[in-house]
Amino acid sequence: MTADAVVRVGVSAPPLDLPMLDGGLFSLRGERGHPVLVSFLRHAG
Amino acid sequence: MKVLEYKRQLDEADASVVFVTFDDPEPVRRGLLAGLEVPYPVLVDRERVVYRAWGLRRSSLAGIWLDPRLWARYAALIVRGERLRRLGSDTLQLGGDFVLDRAGKVVYARPQQRDDRPPVGELLRMLRSASR
Repeated sequence: MTADAVVRVGVSAPPLDLPMLDGGLFSLRGERGHPVLVSFLRHAG
Repeated sequence: MKVLEYKRQLDEADASVVFVTFDDPEPVRRGLLAGLEVPYPVLVDRERVVYRAWGLRRSSLAGIWLDPRLWARYAALIVRGERLRRLGSDTLQLGGDFVLDRAGKVVYARPQQRDDRPPVGELLRMLRSASR
């Protein structure tokens, strides 16, 4: 997936592997089998 | 993070929820998450690699700060006596909401075009549909 790609309905979700705020790593792959809401926040100060 | 008020409905839909932020963890804890119990993972994307990969862009200055709806929302918060959060590291970065089905396919994509969010009911409807 290139930078500034567009994620559209019908495509497989791009990878989402990131550290969690409270430690540890999260991988979206681990959520397979469940519907998932991915909510990207704006500034969070 | 209004969706947190709907945990029961999210559980009934067998849904997972993931939040992603690009801000420093400490201001996120002190600001956005202050006083909140968040039973879902909050991920940190400091370099915004994932934001870009999911097509989430930065707005123009005018797109955020000259939008009268933003000021109307702030006014409503003040009238209700709610605490206004401090600004994060980049007020122009836009977010977005995506719903994936059980196989990881995108069934709903709503990248922000300005500082708004879809109604929670719309997200719940999509999650219920994706859980079938």
